[in-house]
Amino acid sequence: MTTDLLQQAAASNQWAAIFPELSLGCLALLLLGLEMVLPKDNQRQIPLVALVGQAGILVGLLINFYTATLDTETFNSLLRHTHQGQVMRVFFLVASLLVTMLGMISLPKQKVPRVEFYHIVLVISAAMMLLAQSNHFVMLFVALETVTVGFYILVSYFRTSPFSLEAGLKYLVMGALSSGLLLFGIALLYGVAGNPALPGHTAEPMGFSGLHSFLATGANAHHFLAASGVLLVLAGIAFKIGAFPFQIWIPDVYQGAPTPVTAFLAVGSKAAGFAVLFNLLQVFSPCSWLLVPVITVMAAATILFGNFAALTQHNVKRLLGLSGVSHAGFLLLGVVASVTVPMAVGAVHFYLFAYLLASFAVFGVMAHVAGANDADQELDHYAGLAKTNPFLAAVLVIGLGSLAGIPPLAGFMGKLFIFVAAFKAGHYGLLGVAIVGVVVSIYYYFGWIKAAFFETPTASGDECQASRPQISVGLVARVVLTLLAMATVVLGFYQGPLGVWVALR
Amino acid sequence: MTPVQLAIVTLLAPLASAAVIALFLRRAGGLASAVSVLAATLIAGAALMLALGNFRFEAAHEWFQLGGLSLSLGIKFDDLAALMLSVVGVVGWCIHVFSLGYMRDDPAHARYFGGLSIFMFSMVGIVLADNLFMLFIFWELVGFSSYLLIGHWHEKQSASDAAKKAFIVNRVGDFGFLLGIVMCYWSNGTVNLTALSSHHVFSMLIPLLLFCGAVGKSAQLPLQIWLPDAMEGPTPVSALIHAATMVAAGIYMLCRINVLMVPDALTVIMWTGTATALYAALCAITQSDIKKVLAYSTLSQLGFMVAAFGLGPTQFIYDNFSDPKIGMLLMQTGVGAAMFHLSTHAFFKALLFLGSGSVIHGCHHEQDIFKMGGLRTKMPLTFWTFTIGVAAIIGFPYLAGFFSKDAILYLAYANNRTVFAVLAFTAILTSLYMVRLWKLTFLGAPRSDHAAHAHEGGFTLTAPLVILAVLSVLGGYTSLYPKVFTGVFSLIPEAEGSAHTVIVLTSLAVMLIGAVGAFALYRPAATDSLAQKSPGLFGALTALKESFDAVYDYYVAKVQQRFAMLLNFLEQIFLSGLIVRGLAGVAGLFGLGARALHVGNLNVYVYWFLGGLTLFWACAAGLL
Repeated sequence: MTTDLLQQAAASNQWAAIFPELSLGCLALLLLGLEMVLPKDNQRQIPLVALVGQAGILVGLLINFYTATLDTETFNSLLRHTHQGQVMRVFFLVASLLVTMLGMISLPKQKVPRVEFYHIVLVISAAMMLLAQSNHFVMLFVALETVTVGFYILVSYFRTSPFSLEAGLKYLVMGALSSGLLLFGIALLYGVAGNPALPGHTAEPMGFSGLHSFLATGANAHHFLAASGVLLVLAGIAFKIGAFPFQIWIPDVYQGAPTPVTAFLAVGSKAAGFAVLFNLLQVFSPCSWLLVPVITVMAAATILFGNFAALTQHNVKRLLGLSGVSHAGFLLLGVVASVTVPMAVGAVHFYLFAYLLASFAVFGVMAHVAGANDADQELDHYAGLAKTNPFLAAVLVIGLGSLAGIPPLAGFMGKLFIFVAAFKAGHYGLLGVAIVGVVVSIYYYFGWIKAAFFETPTASGDECQASRPQISVGLVARVVLTLLAMATVVLGFYQGPLGVWVALR
Repeated sequence: MTPVQLAIVTLLAPLASAAVIALFLRRAGGLASAVSVLAATLIAGAALMLALGNFRFEAAHEWFQLGGLSLSLGIKFDDLAALMLSVVGVVGWCIHVFSLGYMRDDPAHARYFGGLSIFMFSMVGIVLADNLFMLFIFWELVGFSSYLLIGHWHEKQSASDAAKKAFIVNRVGDFGFLLGIVMCYWSNGTVNLTALSSHHVFSMLIPLLLFCGAVGKSAQLPLQIWLPDAMEGPTPVSALIHAATMVAAGIYMLCRINVLMVPDALTVIMWTGTATALYAALCAITQSDIKKVLAYSTLSQLGFMVAAFGLGPTQFIYDNFSDPKIGMLLMQTGVGAAMFHLSTHAFFKALLFLGSGSVIHGCHHEQDIFKMGGLRTKMPLTFWTFTIGVAAIIGFPYLAGFFSKDAILYLAYANNRTVFAVLAFTAILTSLYMVRLWKLTFLGAPRSDHAAHAHEGGFTLTAPLVILAVLSVLGGYTSLYPKVFTGVFSLIPEAEGSAHTVIVLTSLAVMLIGAVGAFALYRPAATDSLAQKSPGLFGALTALKESFDAVYDYYVAKVQQRFAMLLNFLEQIFLSGLIVRGLAGVAGLFGLGARALHVGNLNVYVYWFLGGLTLFWACAAGLL
């Protein structure tokens, strides 16, 4: 390697382009540093530092949304900065901000070290942001592994709880398996694209543009190894988003993981999967002959499985996990539609935002209602919530209503956009399945609402209630939950700038 | 303030009053009544300002557009609306003031006055509406407020039943009304009253369907059954809603849509009105409740108005049909007579009801006329004003009823002698039952403790009586009205020459026969003199009154209820059982199955991945 080449590579390292990720990393380190420096009494303020820091980064990101590096490749084509990537960056920042907030509610109920939690959340967020912008399989894999390894720790964070440990172990095994599949797929693609015997072979088989041009040449897209590689990569991503048949781990892990981590998995990890899927769909576009039918069937199966399995759940974390599976199905519907209808990408992004707002509203309520045993959150615990805490009950209703897609909430508009896109793309059968799924989903979401509003605590529930301290909602949490609920309502009526901003391609 | 703005204020003031009372003043009865009376004063003042200031205008604002259907909210304020608004405003104000005294001890003061305000809002809306759709909205709103106020004493089973009855019976009529509006829109492309008058399709069905609404609201045969029961409401409500204004809205609506009328439809309307007038007068004779007598009298008088409307052109229109302009003019003579009688009737019937309210209040809520008597000396002011009201309704010369009833009789005389005979006979009955009522209530000796200890009410109870008595005396002189209602009053038919003599003589004769007959027949006793002297006739009249209710009861209990039970049975089996529960059961089974797949065993989960991979491999290899 000549000095020239190194210099050239160094020149393309535009550190400013990943300033948000760098800031998050620094903030993460700062938290650890503060823990060492500050006296024990003041350590309670560290999460607030994380919160404020992230808010600052978010504001900075929003101000510099249309940055100079938009639509360029940096770091020797490891990263590619697109509008979509910027949207996802904002999304992940908001998500980690809210996870930090949830952590501030949930962690004090446990005897665990606190600051590391926020540290890891920040690192994961930075990795997710890079993941959404990666333009190279090495970058993608490294970022993905950073996310996954972070989650291994977070899922088993409540290490005194056997549920949490079990969930951690399961996530570790399944995650390792899926990483292996992904890596195998990448290796196959690398091999086939770099094979000099094939037309259009490339010297950069790991780079997305090289791979795309290889696949677009001749009959390469129909090459068995290429097709296998594409599908194996898809399998790796399907694990992340929880799509059928790689969704089976979800209820167990979601139940065992601490509530903020469950939220992060359900929203952040899933969205990261979709961001990657969108990027790869463009790379793999010559393979859409294979991808479209496979994803269509996956979407239908995911919607049906998620909704029907959620019907009979009593544990709210498992229920949300399975409902999250069904949401992944709806999003996959948008992904399939996006192959032919460009507006579907905007629809998926809008759906993700609506899902983020509603999910965090619900998880916020769950974090408050949860007792000392974080894995034990049954529907029965919500009986009479409307009486004991009308504020939380109202937020819960708005969140669940939005997840169910009840007009005029944001979730309804999200579903509507996706269904319109699917209709335009002509996926009528899938649309029918999705509508059945929506109908079924209303049943279990409303079962939860019914528990909160129309049921009185039973005798056994009374015991639980009695053993629990009175739920008190802190000021920050109150403000954030109110904002989430209000945003959910407002977005349902008026998509305005966010709608335009998300849909702008 | 422009006239349009003033009209809008007139419309919205009572709504605001109702809203304020409903939201803030539910526990503050005194304040609520003040707010409501203030709103009524505002309506009366604004109505008179608009009417007497000779402001006539139309204004509309588009409300919404759905495809080809566009609906607007608008105000049409012509002479007809001006007259009606003045009547509603003045009578409404009198009754609001009367209510202040009458309802003073009622615990649900605020609810009552809130109801009155919402009623005034709805009624003013009907008067001002410039299209049928808007009219219908307010039409339903008066029905709603009527429901509220009839059931004001809802603890009483009979009151809540009566409220429901009134509401449901009105639904029947309103269904026809709605169909008429839809048909009118469908065939004419508009429901705007002014647009309709310049261009519309001749059809018999549309006016008759619209007339259904009037049959319900103005309690014509066969939907008259709700009005007598509606007397369960407080007496001022009966005066305002079930005598002076709301029930007259049916007549007003007919006058609004008179351009749509065709001869055959008018014949139907004429006979409906005539039959109602006669039937109700016959029923009134046997009543012992002071308010029920007045209720049947109202029915009868409404029948007169409907008949007058239907009579208008019946004969002439065939002769002059070659010249539509003359036909149109003659057609409206019915409007003149009907609206004239509506106005005078509003005055004297409100007076009579408020008089009966004063009596009931004085006698500690005793309503049976056979337990009254001797109130002439106990309640002199009520006695004299009530006497004026009775004289006006039976057509005593030179009082309000004399002129308006003569106009109707003349119209009947000129157009249809059979109807004339029936109406003249009805007038005899009117005078009979009114004098009976008057004599039993006020003359003779008190027949109960309550009557013996009766006393005149306060100022708020008597002042409205005096005002309405004055109006009942003067209301018939059209020359006394300012020259602003000429659009309506010029249409009142006036008899000339020999016809005039015939009409005056007939009207005097029927009044005298009835009055003298009643005076001679009825003794101030605790039992009905007619029942003693001729039990057969009395029994027949009672049976006549009850026949309608019996038929409806039979229909509801035996026909409708059984049909409903059959439908319920089918619904339980098919919809609720098979489709709803069946589908839910299947979904639940799927759910249980899916749940059972989550065994919690890591090995099994890995096999899931393996299975998924196999499928993917098969896809990649082109096997699937």
